[in-house]
Amino acid sequence: MHRETDTDCQSSEPGFSPGRRTFLKISVLAGAAATISSTVAYAAGESGFWAKDLEDEQLVDMYRRILRIRWHERTMADKMLTDPTYRGYNHFYAGQEAVAVGICSALRNEGGVEKADLVYSTHRPTGHAIAKGIDLKRMCAENDFRATGLNNGYAAEMHISDPTIGFMGADGMIGPGPVIATGSALAIQARGSGQVVVNFGGDGTYATPHFHSALNNSTLLKLPFIYVIENNLYHQYAHYSLSVPMKDIATAAEPYGIPGIVVDGQDVMQVYNAAKIAVDRARAGEGPTLIEAKTYRYYNHWGAPGATPGELGAFGYDPLAISSFRPERELRAWMQRDPVDISRRILIDWGLLDDAEADAIETEVKAEVTEAFAWAAEQPLCRPEDGLKHVFVDGEVEARQLA
Amino acid sequence: MTEKSWMYAVLEAVQYEMRQDPNMLWLFELTAPVASNPGLPVINLETEFTRKRVINTGIDEMWMVAATLGAGLAGSKAATYIPYQGAAMPFQIIQNHAGKLRHMTGGVASMPVVFVMEMTGQTPGFAGQHSDYEIDSYYMHIPGVKTVVPSTPYDAKGMMASALRDPNPVVFLYPAGLRELVAEVPDEQYDVPLDKAAVLAEGTDLTIVGSGAGMPEILKAADALKADGMSVEVIDLRSLKPMDTETLVASVGKTKKLLAVDQTYYTLGPAAEVVARVAENVDGARFKRIAFPDAPPPASPEMFLWMRVNADHIANAARKLVG
Repeated sequence: MHRETDTDCQSSEPGFSPGRRTFLKISVLAGAAATISSTVAYAAGESGFWAKDLEDEQLVDMYRRILRIRWHERTMADKMLTDPTYRGYNHFYAGQEAVAVGICSALRNEGGVEKADLVYSTHRPTGHAIAKGIDLKRMCAENDFRATGLNNGYAAEMHISDPTIGFMGADGMIGPGPVIATGSALAIQARGSGQVVVNFGGDGTYATPHFHSALNNSTLLKLPFIYVIENNLYHQYAHYSLSVPMKDIATAAEPYGIPGIVVDGQDVMQVYNAAKIAVDRARAGEGPTLIEAKTYRYYNHWGAPGATPGELGAFGYDPLAISSFRPERELRAWMQRDPVDISRRILIDWGLLDDAEADAIETEVKAEVTEAFAWAAEQPLCRPEDGLKHVFVDGEVEARQLA
Repeated sequence: MTEKSWMYAVLEAVQYEMRQDPNMLWLFELTAPVASNPGLPVINLETEFTRKRVINTGIDEMWMVAATLGAGLAGSKAATYIPYQGAAMPFQIIQNHAGKLRHMTGGVASMPVVFVMEMTGQTPGFAGQHSDYEIDSYYMHIPGVKTVVPSTPYDAKGMMASALRDPNPVVFLYPAGLRELVAEVPDEQYDVPLDKAAVLAEGTDLTIVGSGAGMPEILKAADALKADGMSVEVIDLRSLKPMDTETLVASVGKTKKLLAVDQTYYTLGPAAEVVARVAENVDGARFKRIAFPDAPPPASPEMFLWMRVNADHIANAARKLVG
């Protein structure tokens, strides 16, 4: 296993509940400044120099996409909490932005399914979609059930897709996604089109029989396939120690003889470096890679219960959690290593931006997100009878509810 | 007798059986077997029976159903609760193993197991995989498995008790949209048979037949039709396999008009089976069938709510049939 050090990332221990000493230590490290110190930002270790070799423009674009995800999530959470006429919903991705952006920055993101690198997403898709370069306005319209949305109002958040940028779509199920993704990798290998296929999955996907099928078949056939596990510690409301017997899911790569990389999912540059290793290997025909990004989500499994308008994260009661509930201290500890703060600090440390420029980018992104939601809200609703279309390529089915 | 939610009533039945049978197992993922009800103690199967008997698994519906079957084959009563997201994932285990083993073994295999299969179909906005209501058709097709779908808290508790006591594998369909229903439910354990339809209203002009999550809208439509002066007989199938042909035939033999209603897709839904059985046995009757179109449920509430059968659709169909 190719394992990056994550010695300071103690929160990834199964059953982690930070002792008072650890919690204070993390708080002290980060508390001195408005953003986190570079010591902590780099603490998870570096896996390579590739991120440092990127063009300035690309690096700033990574920061911009992280912000775009963050402000999309925050704006939507606030709308869900404050606007009773708003019908959209989300499985929020805030806290995990560096994973989606780090991975997608190593991919080709245009040219349709025959040229772009393909991404299979999850039921928590908006971060992946934005990182891959989706049209923000049309995604907002889709999530608001509009006829001019990305998928004409048929999909909404759990099924958004845009094949033109290689975003194969969200999936509401846990299991089949990665196996289907290996089929795309098989086609790519057979036609020699040089693309790679990335499947995002949560820690919950490890328990499914599909996990083995995806790794086994992609290894046997040396497919250009990358399985990215976003280990945010919880599948829905259950801690991953209830469904995974090992601390690092990446160790599951060992018996297949493929690389299993543990990476700090809060640091976009480290995620990019891991992705670059995997993408180069896949394009060279050497087979699949399993990447486990240690990360955390700031909201509950679904929607914004427990969140407060204008504030980041959900600390309050979630009625859906029933008997299992994540500790508030755990969330606060992870927020000390925020992917937005870390990426901003890195770009400032590397001399690409100063505080004023970073602030200006954030202001621009906020305006862009606000405009996207406003545009979406003005789009037409769907015509009821259009629900009978798109069952097959041609025609429509009969309205059997009517006598 | 106390007012109880559907969810509480069902867990009360499970709790009772688990107290009687120290070997009985309950397997779940994601949805903890916990229910509360005003004025009654909280039911938490996991804390009461410990994780040795109440198992919180990873997301692996195939294992949950296979392990439940395996526990039954080894002589322990077992049940599993599959949330709607994964309710077709373990299809093969039920169709090719649970459904065939007793017959294939010449009757020696024992399978005192219950597969609780959540169904949705009630919530607009969640699109194809989370708004569908379709597994009734799939599971009722399997020989060797009883497939039931209660529609009231009273039946849900009584049919759960019967299912847990039945030596055959039972698919207990659990419409998620009904779990908040509240009604008077006895505190003691009781059986509701797994092979009898329920006549919810008696009438002479028309028979309306439905099941599960479709029943509340059927009852609403029946009220509207009665207000118009129509005499409507309403039948809740409750059991899809075996289907209570006798009750259906007796009713349509009287009314000579049958409206069969499904929440599931039109093709091969329970309503198709109802019409076929009645047509074979009643001469001179007229029939109508309404259902969700043969299309996955779209996310847009405007499309979805238009496509899903509601009380207006049912009342209009009834008027066309009787008028």
